[in-house]
Amino acid sequence: MSLVQQVLPAFLLGARNTLIYCFVSFPLALLLGLLLAVMRSSRIVWFSSPAKIFIEVIRGTPIIVQIFLIYYGLGAVLAIYNLATLDNAWTAGIAILAINYAAYESEVFRAGFLSVEHGQTEAALSLGMTSGQNFFRIVLPQAIPLMIPPFVNDFIYMLKDSAILSVISATELTSVLQYYVFRNSSQPIPLYALAIVLYLLMALPISYVARWYERRLRAAL
Amino acid sequence: MQQTQTITTVEPRTRSWLPVINALYYVVLAIALLGFGYYLYLNLSLITLYLPFLLQAAALTIGISVVSMVLALIFGLIGALARLSRFALIRWIAIVYVEVVRGTPIFVQLLLWYYGIGYLLSKAGFDPYTIAFNIMTVFQSNSFVPLLFSAFFYGILGLSFNYGAYLTEVFRTGIESVDKGQTEAALSLGLNSRQSMRHIVLPQAIRITIPPFTNYFITLIQDSALLSVLGVTELEETMGSFAYPLIDPNQKLFVFILGAMVYLAICYPLSLLARFLEGRFARAYRTSGEKIDVLRADMLDSDMLGKQVVSFAEDEGESE
Repeated sequence: MSLVQQVLPAFLLGARNTLIYCFVSFPLALLLGLLLAVMRSSRIVWFSSPAKIFIEVIRGTPIIVQIFLIYYGLGAVLAIYNLATLDNAWTAGIAILAINYAAYESEVFRAGFLSVEHGQTEAALSLGMTSGQNFFRIVLPQAIPLMIPPFVNDFIYMLKDSAILSVISATELTSVLQYYVFRNSSQPIPLYALAIVLYLLMALPISYVARWYERRLRAAL
Repeated sequence: MQQTQTITTVEPRTRSWLPVINALYYVVLAIALLGFGYYLYLNLSLITLYLPFLLQAAALTIGISVVSMVLALIFGLIGALARLSRFALIRWIAIVYVEVVRGTPIFVQLLLWYYGIGYLLSKAGFDPYTIAFNIMTVFQSNSFVPLLFSAFFYGILGLSFNYGAYLTEVFRTGIESVDKGQTEAALSLGLNSRQSMRHIVLPQAIRITIPPFTNYFITLIQDSALLSVLGVTELEETMGSFAYPLIDPNQKLFVFILGAMVYLAICYPLSLLARFLEGRFARAYRTSGEKIDVLRADMLDSDMLGKQVVSFAEDEGESE
């Protein structure tokens, strides 16, 4: 028990860093995802096709491969041309999480916009609204409640995937865990249990709120 | 006097530059693809050197994924049946299993299986490698046992244990989505509860579970890359072991890109297949209203949802 007490502050710090990673990356992913969704549903191929390719490539490759590619591969290439250095795990980690999740969020945005019936748009346009007004006053308010459950779901996935950032020595919960497991390798189980409890404490409340909201929404629809 | 009146109605055509601009895009895309091909050609020596090994590793990745998925299927079925059990204790065990596994990163679970539980069990005398070695010694072929057998064992166990929890929810949702009236009708026709499950409920539930199932299979393939932290020589680990010693950053980046392309070559056809299956099974709708209902139901189903590698409901919604 004393071991747990000893490492608890470090673990809490790690959990805090995990949360910071997610709370910074997720809004970025949302912004980028919205941009991708708008691009993808554009009639101009110059926008829609690159977005489609980007989304398929990101969703078709594991995030750990993307981490290695960007941090070790691209980082090294950028460094020799003096363009940028990606040696900070914060920057690289947040960038990777945001880029990876943008591809998933764009799909949620697209599904959300598709879930508002086209007749609504037609009605709005025939009432003289501009397409911008239609988007912000008609489509978006109806789409947002439906998009929240998948967003929360993806946020929990991001919380879990941020553990993979420990391979680039980010200072989040899992790398703290690995450090302490390495230091006292004779009794790893309490350390793992502590990390798992901390992850559950972060993920479960969000997931319960999301499910409650989902049930309410399903009843309302 | 004859009056000829030729009325030619010429619609004033709005000249649209869109097709021209779009056509131009394909020219640029073709040039970009050619450029990428040239980039590959420049690194042809690296390709001929590494690609055979990468493909071997890819075969191992696929093998690990298939074995894990089959085991996960078993875990998931047991979990779903336990979840729907009449006994509260069994139900609660299943709930704890699902919640704990889905609330924690698979990365941490894999570390726990190999470096935590595996380490303790090997100290207690249970070592998968030694056991497999001894068994194969009886058959006089112990050289077939790979040195990393323990990592394989715990890696596959961890993957299938994790995905079993997700599939538990998928199967449970599938079974619960079959109308209660069906079971009642089957029971009133004289089928017993096992028969009604086997012949009535499951065939209908499976239709609904196939699209999320393929989705989870693709994410499983992607998550099998995490086995590289256990030292399993699958695609990710092989790719890294080739890339790290390279000094030239351009070559290093190229090896990573090559590995990512192999992953894409595995996952993209599967996601196309999943989209096809999704169109084929489960989601039959005729009107756009039904389509929207299905879309909404999909978005509200976070238990089944997972990380959506396959698009929500129907794809190619561009044709309006």
